[in-house]
Amino acid sequence: MSFKKKQPDLVLFLTTFLLLSIGVIMVLSASSYHAMLYYDDPYYFLKRQIRWSGLGIIAMFFFMNLDYYKTKKLIITGFIINLVLLALVLVPGVGVEVKGSSRWLGVGSFVFAPSEIIKLAVVFFFARLMSINTEQIKNVKGFFSYLLILAVVAGLLLKQPDLGTTIAVAGTAFCMFIAAGARISHLTGLAITGLAGIAGLIYQEPYRLKRIIGYLKPFETASNEGYQTVQSLYALGSGWLFGIGLGNSRQKFLYLPERHTDFIFAIIGEELGFIGIVLVISLFFLFIWRGYRIALYAPDRFGSLLAVGLTSIIAVQSVINMGVVTGALPVTGITLPFVSYGGSSLTISLIGVGILLNISRYAQK
Amino acid sequence: MVSITMKKRISFIFMISALLLSLLVVRTAWIQFVMGKELQAKAIDSRLRNIDVKAKRGIIYDRNGSPLAISVSADSVYAVPSQVRRSNQLEEIAEALAEVLELNKEDVIEKLNKRIAFEWIKRRIPDEKIKQLKELDLPGINFVEENQRYYPKGKLAAHILGFAGIDNQGLNGVELTFDKELRGASGKIMIEYDAGGREIPNAMHQYIPPIDGNSIYLTIDETIQYVVEREIDQMMKIKQAKKAAVLVMDVKTGDILGMASRPVFDPNNYAEYDQGTWRNFALTDAYEPGSTFKPVVAAGAMEENIVKATDRFYDPGYIKVGKETIKCWSRTPHGSQSFIEGVQNSCNPVFVTVGLRMGKDNFYKYLNGFGFGAKTGIDLPGEATGILVPRSRTKDIDLATMSIGQANAVTPIQLVRAVAAIANDGWLMKPQLVKEIRDFEGKLVRELEPEPIRQVISQQTSKELRDILESVVTEGTGRNAYLEGYKVAGKTGTAQKILPGGGYSSSEYIASFVGFAPADEPRIAVLVVVDAPQGVYYGGQVAAPVFKNVILDSLRYLEVPPELKNGVIIEEKKITVPDIKTKNIAQATKELKALGFKVQVEGQGEAIITQLPPAGTEISKGSNVVLYTQDSESNQIVVPDLTGRTIKEASKILSDIGLGMAPQGSGLAALQEPYPGTKVDEGTVIKIQFLSPNVESHEETIGP
Repeated sequence: MSFKKKQPDLVLFLTTFLLLSIGVIMVLSASSYHAMLYYDDPYYFLKRQIRWSGLGIIAMFFFMNLDYYKTKKLIITGFIINLVLLALVLVPGVGVEVKGSSRWLGVGSFVFAPSEIIKLAVVFFFARLMSINTEQIKNVKGFFSYLLILAVVAGLLLKQPDLGTTIAVAGTAFCMFIAAGARISHLTGLAITGLAGIAGLIYQEPYRLKRIIGYLKPFETASNEGYQTVQSLYALGSGWLFGIGLGNSRQKFLYLPERHTDFIFAIIGEELGFIGIVLVISLFFLFIWRGYRIALYAPDRFGSLLAVGLTSIIAVQSVINMGVVTGALPVTGITLPFVSYGGSSLTISLIGVGILLNISRYAQK
Repeated sequence: MVSITMKKRISFIFMISALLLSLLVVRTAWIQFVMGKELQAKAIDSRLRNIDVKAKRGIIYDRNGSPLAISVSADSVYAVPSQVRRSNQLEEIAEALAEVLELNKEDVIEKLNKRIAFEWIKRRIPDEKIKQLKELDLPGINFVEENQRYYPKGKLAAHILGFAGIDNQGLNGVELTFDKELRGASGKIMIEYDAGGREIPNAMHQYIPPIDGNSIYLTIDETIQYVVEREIDQMMKIKQAKKAAVLVMDVKTGDILGMASRPVFDPNNYAEYDQGTWRNFALTDAYEPGSTFKPVVAAGAMEENIVKATDRFYDPGYIKVGKETIKCWSRTPHGSQSFIEGVQNSCNPVFVTVGLRMGKDNFYKYLNGFGFGAKTGIDLPGEATGILVPRSRTKDIDLATMSIGQANAVTPIQLVRAVAAIANDGWLMKPQLVKEIRDFEGKLVRELEPEPIRQVISQQTSKELRDILESVVTEGTGRNAYLEGYKVAGKTGTAQKILPGGGYSSSEYIASFVGFAPADEPRIAVLVVVDAPQGVYYGGQVAAPVFKNVILDSLRYLEVPPELKNGVIIEEKKITVPDIKTKNIAQATKELKALGFKVQVEGQGEAIITQLPPAGTEISKGSNVVLYTQDSESNQIVVPDLTGRTIKEASKILSDIGLGMAPQGSGLAALQEPYPGTKVDEGTVIKIQFLSPNVESHEETIGP
């Protein structure tokens, strides 16, 4: 199979680039104070973010030029290897444990998180399966086999524990189920049991329950469970229309936790105001629009589902992250794609964009 | 190719995503525009730490604006324990602090290990120690300027002023009763901190300035107070009495011009004195006034026309009341005498007769009318009400003893006020201690007007009694209070002290003298009470000389023109008193006589310490100018060199050798006046200018 190559989607490319640039600037602004305090270097996080962005852009260009349909043979093997790595992380002494989660694998300075790669792996794997057998997802048995795979992945992720990635993967998979033509009744049932499952997971872990209390009553629990939400709202609320100016954030002075990662959107709202918020949300809107557009005009079912999955990863993560920052959702630990500081997550997102751009080169009008 | 169904499904996902993004825009708009102001205020509030800025305590002045209680600044040291711990040098820091501040190292370590944001290490430290500490630059150790109460005149008016504690809270005297006025309102410095308690770059600073306390202007006149203190000290030195009180009251307004009690304390180091010395005998203790109470009895009897000045009485040396016999104090009976003579002789049978004639109702009418048995309402803490024999239980014998000033106990303030009322055409005034209250800029806040309470006796009775009481001094028992040039009215008193178990002591007496002057146009009333003097104990011997000196110096100071014996007022031409303090006696006397003054020299020394009236005062030709000298070998004090000392050290040195201090500025002593080596009188106030060393390096540090 071979398609005629065209120009990649320029809008998607520029949108990504803009988000990345905003991210680099905001990571500097949000992190410089504590970077100075703890690492004696205000540019500590900036330097790393630029390095990872550079690496990510190289990876993006590489995947932009690697024909997506040529990857088909590697998908199943790749997915299984990824699952093994995910399981390996949990083996004591092999996985690197940080902040109570064993999430990383590696030696010395080379450390990576298999949970980041699994997002891509699941998308590829499901797109492949759904394009091999188009009808399978429509019957109960087929639908359940997809859910079983998803459950294995989710189980391994939750064992770390990594609720954020689990939700991102599940949300992405759900979008793919919709696109692939799963029955409405199956999807509704899944949505209900999924929510019930999340509720169950919350009750299982005391720290998750606290997060819910913090979410429901942030101001009453401002000194403990609600602290993050309250500090985030303080930052946003201080921004008004134009913000208090780039670099002028007050909440970054250790008040807002995860200020350069999970809560960077709050710093944007504080420094750049509603204008900045609308700009960032508009960029994500553009990204999602172009992403799903690529899916619509993809030359084949595999490419289309791949595009849906890759776009959905960004859509799900950005919506949830911004929902958490604005206090509309409980704290989950999901970063804002392209903007938040974070090495492997950034690289994986950019690889996703690379693949999306590659699919866009085969768009059929 | 992608199927139509799939295209629809993908569009649906996109639509949902777009919807969620729009909801996020709405949600953010709500947070930023609707909740924004409130959230921002809360955010700022959570980041700001308040530091109290103490208001400067108001100054207490005498009636002419001379400061009696001021606030001087001194630095205190505090620690931010978390910062100290973070430096990982806790041991070294504790050691340095302990060494410089002379503290126990273990105690310092304990303080530095506390889990609190702020801990005092030591408060109000000499500047040189602060300098040492600042040079060490210890992490987490900060400085804050605090105000300290300072009483520049030392013990002068100690009982009136009272004292304020370490946190500038009024604890006694006017410092306590007017604490609300003096205290002011604390201000705030609000600084933005990071969540770890570090001040952040370009931090927001908000400053709510403190409102300094109001100043109190007392009715006390520093000069009269000084005279009172001087006389009471002189008397105490000779008589070694247990307690004593001297009060000077303006009869027209009720203003207390001077008031001193003994024993006394230094409000600068009040804690080092026995708490008993804090008691202001002039109003906290009641005593049996004895004969000094007789003017009150006379006033009532004359007002009720029970007795006239010319009524005749016969004194056989005693009087029988029922089964009891009351003796007259005199061994030789006074025999036949008029009421005037009875008062002059302080004859007990005369007053017992008059008292019994008055009867219970009339007697209590005037007892209560003159304000006995009730607080006078003076603005000082701890005033006693005194003890009266309950009216219902009063029998003739009680009436008889009450008539000669026994059985009832009164406070000195009650008695001086009653006598002042006799002098003031019968008008009883509320004793005033505070004249006005001004804010820190000097703007008048409140003026305390004289408060007449009631007219107890008529103007006529007042006049008659004034004449009688004047004759007590000119011809009667009060001769020791006689003053050339001024008409003085007064009454002696010598009462046996009541023993704790009841009955009268045979060895301890209370000597007193009460009176006013000038007798025909009274200005001031003075009471001298001496509890348990050693040796001679008669009021005429112990209290009258004090009374006389206080009256004389006060009247001169108040520029009351003296009269000749024949009553002609001395020629009105005024001459300005020159400054002769630096000259020797011979020279000064010559100079003053040349100007037409009379010269009176007090003391045996050669050098003149001070003069009364002070230089620049305009007084009539022929008036006395008193020159105070002191023997160079006895009480002369050589002013020490205080250069380089701190306020506290200088104050200590000076008070130890018996001198006062008037400090200006803060830091180390730079200039002083009089110069070192000058010989001065005990109690002289040395003016010292303090300067802060290297002002530019003085770091502005703020603490809670």
